Amino acid sequence: MKNSTLVKGTAAIAVGAALLLGGGGTLANWNAEATAAPGTIVSGDLNVVKAVNGVWKDRTGTVIPDISAYKVVPGDKLTFTQDLTVTLVGNKMAANVTTTGISATNGFTPANVSVSAPALTVGSTAVANPLVPTGSDQTVTATITFEFLSTTTGRADTTKSYNFNNVAFQLTQVTQPGLS
Amino acid sequence: MRITRSLKAAALIAAAVVLGLFTVQGTFALWNASAVAAPGTVSAASFDVALTAVNSGATTNMTLANEAAANLALSPAGTLGPGSPVSGGVVVTNNTNAGGQFNTATTVGQPTVANTGGGTLASYIIVSAKTAVSSTECSSSTGYAQIGASGLASPTVGKGGSTIFCFQVSLAPGAPSTVKGQAVTISLPLTARQLCGVPSGC
Repeated sequence: MKNSTLVKGTAAIAVGAALLLGGGGTLANWNAEATAAPGTIVSGDLNVVKAVNGVWKDRTGTVIPDISAYKVVPGDKLTFTQDLTVTLVGNKMAANVTTTGISATNGFTPANVSVSAPALTVGSTAVANPLVPTGSDQTVTATITFEFLSTTTGRADTTKSYNFNNVAFQLTQVTQPGLS
Repeated sequence: MRITRSLKAAALIAAAVVLGLFTVQGTFALWNASAVAAPGTVSAASFDVALTAVNSGATTNMTLANEAAANLALSPAGTLGPGSPVSGGVVVTNNTNAGGQFNTATTVGQPTVANTGGGTLASYIIVSAKTAVSSTECSSSTGYAQIGASGLASPTVGKGGSTIFCFQVSLAPGAPSTVKGQAVTISLPLTARQLCGVPSGC
């Protein structure tokens, strides 16, 4: 009877030790660690905005403050210039700037007027797409000319109007080597 | 057999998707932005020339609303007789609403003289003209001359400006007494035209 009690006590101790070994799991081993700092990834930028309203000028370069109040006559040649601010940031950034052209409501006889498609220039040179970042904003100028031809005869097209409606400009990123 | 058919179908679908991506979509999405400009509306000016008779003050636009040429009676003052000419005139005003420069010149063409109710008076009528800066000059006999083949042109008239044509009708020296009491209608065509005021603009 005493032996039985001893065996039972020994078994209980063995079970407890086994539980300690299995559940604790903190037997000391060597370990070490190091830290890396990958840094911060910053995205670039792409934008085109109409920073200021466009300007109309007559053939002599005189600014027309309000085109809606100006009445053209045969021989008039008006020029509209619109500056666009283009923002391009990114190591592999490149973008094409384009225009949808003019979709006008024309009340004139087509043969009596000459309207140019929007011409895009940077400075005085034509835009060479794609544009790439230069470190600062770039100014792209869109130019449209409207000429009421002096070959107009009689009283043709008096009090007519030509509504340019909206002229849109798009800046679209293009792929570069290293992009997919 | 069934597995082979399924594989073929899957391959076809995949090929169609890839083809669709390349042909329909075409552009893999990248950044883009747009801006819109509204240049506005360009409007043509009017070409209005007003005529005012010197003697009567009657006025009209040179071109009527239906685009027809207007007629303006100048109603010469006095009665025509030997050595007693009559005169009248017209003030021509450039009433355009052009935004820029819009100069005009008006030319009076050769007169047409027609007997009214028969007679021969028209054969003995001499029409002379001159340009003036004041309508009072029309009653002065000085400066009148017969209108040449190319007509009589006015000076340049700018926006809102005007010029005056004076006309004098006289009886030819050899007119017989039989023309007494007869009447004629004299037509003087006026033509206004725009002048090119901008270098290399026309």
